[in-house]
Amino acid sequence: MQPVTLVVNGVEHEAVVEPLETLLSVLRGTLKLTGTKEGCGTGYCGACTVIIDGQPVNACLFPAVDADRRDVTTIEGLADDDGQLHPVQAAFIEHFGLQCGFCTPGMILAAASLLAEQPDPSEEQIRAALAGNICRCTGYQSIVAAVRSAAQALRASGRAGELPGKRSRVRARA
Amino acid sequence: MNRHTAARDGAVVGAKRPRLDAGPKVTGHTRYTADIELEGALTGLIKRSPHAFARVVRVDVARAAAMPGVHAIAHAGNTPHIPFDLGIKDQHLFPHPYARYAGEPVAAVAAESEAQAQAALNAIEVEYEILEPVLDAQRALEPSAPLVHPDWRTYEKLPTRVLRGNVCGHNRVRRGDVDTEFARADVVIHESEFRFSPGLPGYIEPRAAAARREPDGGLTLWCGSQSPYDNRDELAKFFALEPARVRFINQFVGGAFGGKILMAAEWYAAALALQCERPVRVIWTRHEDGLHAFPRHGGYASLKTAATKDGALVAMRASFVYDTGAYIGYGTGTAQISTMLASAPYRVPALDLEATLVYTNKQVAGPVRAPGGPQANFAKELHLDELAAKLGIDPLDFRLRNAWHDGDQGPGGQILAGVRVEETLRACADAIGWRTPTTQRRGRGIACTWWFSACGQSRARIEIGDDGRVRLAAGNPEVGTGASSTSLPMIAAQILGLDPSAIDVVLADTATDTYDSGVGGSSSTFGAGMAVSGAANDLRAKLLARAEDMLEARTDDLELRDGNVQVRGMPDRAVSYVKLAREAGGTISGEGESAEQDDPEFDESLTETHGFSSWLAPSYTASAAEVEVDADTGEVAVHKIVTAQDVGYAVNPVGVAGQIEGGAVMGVGWALTESVGFDERGNIRPDLKDYLMPTAVDAPEIQTIIVESSPGAGPFGLKGAGEPPITTPPAAIACAIRSAAGVAPHETPMTPERVWRALRDQ
Repeated sequence: MQPVTLVVNGVEHEAVVEPLETLLSVLRGTLKLTGTKEGCGTGYCGACTVIIDGQPVNACLFPAVDADRRDVTTIEGLADDDGQLHPVQAAFIEHFGLQCGFCTPGMILAAASLLAEQPDPSEEQIRAALAGNICRCTGYQSIVAAVRSAAQALRASGRAGELPGKRSRVRARA
Repeated sequence: MNRHTAARDGAVVGAKRPRLDAGPKVTGHTRYTADIELEGALTGLIKRSPHAFARVVRVDVARAAAMPGVHAIAHAGNTPHIPFDLGIKDQHLFPHPYARYAGEPVAAVAAESEAQAQAALNAIEVEYEILEPVLDAQRALEPSAPLVHPDWRTYEKLPTRVLRGNVCGHNRVRRGDVDTEFARADVVIHESEFRFSPGLPGYIEPRAAAARREPDGGLTLWCGSQSPYDNRDELAKFFALEPARVRFINQFVGGAFGGKILMAAEWYAAALALQCERPVRVIWTRHEDGLHAFPRHGGYASLKTAATKDGALVAMRASFVYDTGAYIGYGTGTAQISTMLASAPYRVPALDLEATLVYTNKQVAGPVRAPGGPQANFAKELHLDELAAKLGIDPLDFRLRNAWHDGDQGPGGQILAGVRVEETLRACADAIGWRTPTTQRRGRGIACTWWFSACGQSRARIEIGDDGRVRLAAGNPEVGTGASSTSLPMIAAQILGLDPSAIDVVLADTATDTYDSGVGGSSSTFGAGMAVSGAANDLRAKLLARAEDMLEARTDDLELRDGNVQVRGMPDRAVSYVKLAREAGGTISGEGESAEQDDPEFDESLTETHGFSSWLAPSYTASAAEVEVDADTGEVAVHKIVTAQDVGYAVNPVGVAGQIEGGAVMGVGWALTESVGFDERGNIRPDLKDYLMPTAVDAPEIQTIIVESSPGAGPFGLKGAGEPPITTPPAAIACAIRSAAGVAPHETPMTPERVWRALRDQ
């Protein structure tokens, strides 16, 4: 067992984790942040995608100990504190970019981290960035449309390149 | 848009409408079954047979039961021995005594932690007598093949079911004399054979269930089922519980596609919970889910067709053999639908179409989205394309030459009206640019079909409370399509003069006592839509009746707008629904149920052991595909798919487009990459590293054409819409490969190797 400090959505959590425990297990089991989904547990479906220091990762493969003192953004931390949706979230609603919704948290975080790096991606770049996230419902076309629209919204509001999620440090007990 | 603008414009239905459940889905707050917190819940795990076929000689749980943290072990020795009933009573909850596929559950454990449950699983001793398995449908039919069910003669079954040895289903459609037609001097004959791969439903949320024994002897189940009421009844009967005391609470479902109609994790959660003082959660890994996924039926087919030299079809013989796995599952429908599709939607005067269902030692195949549809259309359309090529006729012209029109007969003799084969074919052809030349290595294919609108039984209740909220309780689960969460409230809103967002949808929960036979057969907006429309009209009538006195006006002069009943055109003479509810004693509600729908008349002399001989509110769908084939590697890139679908009426056009787009990409997967791999011992490779579902880079551009010119029997004239979109893209892709390369593989998935071999051998 090992103590770690996880900074999730701007809130610090002290937790004790098993040596090989995944970040997904700690997020869902210990912190009760169930917005991050387990679809396969082997890194193929992307439903567990979270953002660590700006990069999308599969939380099902990521050892929790390696997240110690790093910024983790989950789907619960993407909207503003006042509930204002991130433009990617709003665009997924508007463009029918989801159906069952199970891949949606991971898909949205993968898209948000793409747009932080590439404010004006081509369709090809969007599809490549989402290739690690499987959606069985939509056929992807509406998701791609949502991401393009979100890119435009972020640029129009001067938020292009902004890192998604929160980084303010508030301490909590896990 | 202002919340009530749509209602004022009278255009709630038919307008593009974001999903009403989308908000919590994009913020991670939607709860799926595995997200449910249950105080004191134990972890349930399953021990599975590693053998394709074995007799379970002994299960010894003594050592496991004494291990720390273990609360219960369920197995054949302490659960009922009542066979499941899907027409043939051939399956037990736990082996009794045969384990007939690798991955079949032999025991289940509930323990404090996953580690303790796993340790106990390992400590359960199971002695197997290993038997020779049958791993191929063709092998199953050989006289020397082992019997998957050695005791098949003792099984109870419906009189309409065929059972002899490894054969567990057979149906036939016959008209005219095909042999006489084949012997004609003036016809060209084409014969071909096809093989189909089994396909996983591929939902992203693995199966999960939680169960709790209640102090009154009842049981509560949290699940993500397509059919919670029927599941509840089946489970209650099995465990000898009163159905009224068994409650299934459906959660949001992370995709289903037919894979969540039959119970899976629910059985084991219930079996364990009934032996525990605490709730039990059973959450399957992706690997386990793939071992027990009710996949699409694999199998093979042979087709022989004759046409005159100018392209008129005269006769077809087709034979399908489907591998339903170790137990009957939902194989019967797959086989029956296939013979209804084999010659459709074309005029073929002489037919002899049959389908046989066989047992093998594989997991049970199920009713995956449009059972039989992709398979039968892949074989039929590629076969007919090849015949057209022999005749030197353009594939589109050949199809148009033979397409059904009003007054033609379906395979079972049903007289057709409102046929839209030609319209959907032409719409696809125009959109893909059929008559324009393609660049090198590219080809276009086109395919068409028909499908049915299943109408199960559905009930719904709409209630206006004194808090002003409008609650819609239908028994139809929201499995991801948006039918239940969005289309049903749109229908209610249209009738009640509300914006759909003013309606709270109660997820399917047997406690609401609004029975629904479940999501399946493209029935949600169709059948449950009728129930909701009935409930809304009932409520509307009650609101008007109450308002009549209060407003001193006749019903004819009243209208429903924005949550008020008002004198037409006089918003100041109005009374709110809340006030009417309070006057009525707190709540006012309406109830409705789906209308009994008789299947259209058909000719019984044309079919044998067939339960699908005529189709209700049939719809017509065509797809065109443009692909590029790399002749050196056999790789196929799908550039575009166009699907034109006759849906009668689109309550939510973006919802329909979502079905069409998702179905197209699911079709790309089944056509090109998806196959459940079995090894020689019957073990399967179910993981996503082997089972390749399309990602965003594999998905083509998809163009949706919604055809609304032929109304169906559903509310506003709608027809079922969810299944047809997967039935034509694989066939269109196969035909496009043939057009690009001169030949296409006769086996799915059409992998680069198979395409390359087909090219080499042509």
